Amino acid sequence: MRRLVVLLKKEFLQLLRDKILIIVLIYAFTIDVYVGGKGVKLEVNNFPTIIQDQSKSFKSRELISRFREPYFKILAFVESDKEVVNWLDKGKASMAIIIPPDFERKVDKRQGKIQVIIDGTMSITATMAVSYVAEITNDYAIELLERKGGVTKHFFENFPQIDERTRVLFNPNCLSHWFMGLAELFNVVTMVPLLITAAVLIKEKEYGTIEQLLVTPVRSWEIFLAKILPTVIIVSLLTMLSIFIMIKGVFKVPIRGNLFLFYIVTCLYIFSLSSIGIAIATMVGNLSQAMMVIMIILVPMLMISGVWTPPEAMRLFARYASLLSPMRYYLDFGYGVILKGNGLKYVWQDILGIILIGGLLLFFSALRFRQSFAK
Amino acid sequence: MFKRFSGIVKKEFIELLRDKLALLLIFIAPVLVIFLEGYGLVLDVKKIPLAFLDYDRSKLSREYVNSFVNSEYFKFYRLVSNYKEAEELIKKGKIRALIVIPSDFSRKLYKWQNVQVQILVDGTYPNRAQIVKGYVSSINFKFNMKLLQIYAKTLEEKEKFPIEVEMRAWYNPALESKNFIMPGELVTILCFYPILISCLAIVREKELGSIFNFYCSPAKSWEIVLGKAIPYIIVSFLTYLTLFFITVFVFKAKFIGNFIALSIGSFLYISCTVGLGFLISSFTKTQITAMLLAFVLAVLPSYLYSGYLCPISSMDLSGQIMSKFIPATYFLKIVRGIYLKGLGLGFYINNLFYLCLYGFIVYTLTILRFKKRID
Repeated sequence: MRRLVVLLKKEFLQLLRDKILIIVLIYAFTIDVYVGGKGVKLEVNNFPTIIQDQSKSFKSRELISRFREPYFKILAFVESDKEVVNWLDKGKASMAIIIPPDFERKVDKRQGKIQVIIDGTMSITATMAVSYVAEITNDYAIELLERKGGVTKHFFENFPQIDERTRVLFNPNCLSHWFMGLAELFNVVTMVPLLITAAVLIKEKEYGTIEQLLVTPVRSWEIFLAKILPTVIIVSLLTMLSIFIMIKGVFKVPIRGNLFLFYIVTCLYIFSLSSIGIAIATMVGNLSQAMMVIMIILVPMLMISGVWTPPEAMRLFARYASLLSPMRYYLDFGYGVILKGNGLKYVWQDILGIILIGGLLLFFSALRFRQSFAK
Repeated sequence: MFKRFSGIVKKEFIELLRDKLALLLIFIAPVLVIFLEGYGLVLDVKKIPLAFLDYDRSKLSREYVNSFVNSEYFKFYRLVSNYKEAEELIKKGKIRALIVIPSDFSRKLYKWQNVQVQILVDGTYPNRAQIVKGYVSSINFKFNMKLLQIYAKTLEEKEKFPIEVEMRAWYNPALESKNFIMPGELVTILCFYPILISCLAIVREKELGSIFNFYCSPAKSWEIVLGKAIPYIIVSFLTYLTLFFITVFVFKAKFIGNFIALSIGSFLYISCTVGLGFLISSFTKTQITAMLLAFVLAVLPSYLYSGYLCPISSMDLSGQIMSKFIPATYFLKIVRGIYLKGLGLGFYINNLFYLCLYGFIVYTLTILRFKKRID
């Protein structure tokens, strides 16, 4: 036990000696989480739009006046088709709303039509923007119907209509920084332990100092633990710091679940990622090789585990592949506990997944570790 | 002078080619990443699992349920019998939305009255919640139109909806996601990958001490930095060719532009990203820090702030500032323009200029930082 303590002390010293490393770590858990959460907006916001009003009538102007910020940013009113092409080609505008010359007449005949052209190179946001256009236009159309005097009153009181009352749970105003802030934190929690443990062990391999350690009376499992524990301790503390300062303090996310549970599972999660790091380090010879292996594992893990691609939308292959990714369980767990306030009853499967995969990885990396540094 | 320069380039090449495993990984890693992401990343929101709580259980309510089930956006999960069951499903993440149909649904509608339907949406993923809201309203709207028509018939009055919105997507008419994902992946991978392979180039020599060989050689700083950069630029350019081939011939993304123009842009872009790796390398003291910095600064930001997954126009100030620092932002516009719009480089003079400026700054800083000194 005393040996382990000494080893841990050595690892801590070695890790925290580099000032820039500490700065990078603090940056990753604070500013990076802030910009990731606050900077990136997934909703349609200030969508660059141009309008070609060929009708120039009262109704067309009335409709146009409803396309407003924060959803749309009207950049220009253009006259010709050529200008529309130009704006979209250059990518300065992402949407053009075209109102045909006979708009008002047609509307009175109930055959009105407007055309919306979107830049298909950025399909997701563009389709969302179109749905806003449709919603605004529909509202306007209903208002026109209502306005049509005589019919109105009696017509609309007895109107067979289904009124949808939507309530969004857990994040009632759909604030994207609640989601993105946590996403960025989870990304960092995933990235940092894997990188640090791999790098620390490889460094000892490259320098040959691991042999020095091996000729001392310490056991190989002690070295193994001493390589993982500092990372677990540092990263888990930084995570909690980020939860309190950034997520709770700055983003004002209401934390509904049990933070103690969150902390424990985060430690387990970091443990399993560190095991991946160790396993990689035992298999490669130097850091450049390790970085490529990490890139292969980390980049798809970050992108496919659920932040961008929801589990239910995944293709069959990805759905099975993602079962191997500890991040998938952690995302489910993290959002579940923090945003939904889920207790053990709902997240035990995720925890089990993290433990199983983590255990497997730990076993594998410990085996590799013993094989490569057998005494 | 030229002889000295070519000598340095040759030395760096030999060093790069000597490590066979690293070289293999350098060429395999980006290919694996683009395949995993190409098959794994699904960005459009479809097949959202949806449950119904139908208190009415009439023919009309079934018809209403079917109007959702038959759309490609939703997947029928099941009919639930009470709120508690639904809540459980939402908390477990089994369904993303619940539609509650009141018991007087059909009775009221047959009496030509308004009726309210309650919709609960899981807000954990806020942008998806908004898309779900949009889908629900558009389906609801269509159902209302149907009701209105039946109603109007009974009134013998032709009630048609006055304004229709017609949507057209330019450049990617069917809004196929491969046309969106593939150019984006090309840009992001070519952003972080050159940084990852080059970020150790200088710091490794610092750690091993071989940097002193450079310090005491007659070679100038710029010769050393550029000489070191050239092999990495060439390797990255070969990777660009491979990735381009994969996007166009394997994933069959639409490509109507000029290959030469794209290659010129790519070359400039890769020079920038390799330079960024060198900048990281020159400012750090240990390989661990360089690697951590490269991953934190390159991988996620290239996805988040380049405009690939969410448009820059909708970001808030911190995100927009971040996007200016990432070369991917400038290159993404060029790539989308060439791939999907078939425009020449002439359209993107300013973005090319920014890339040149970016490269100039990055290399100048690195060269200045690479002073010959002993500290």
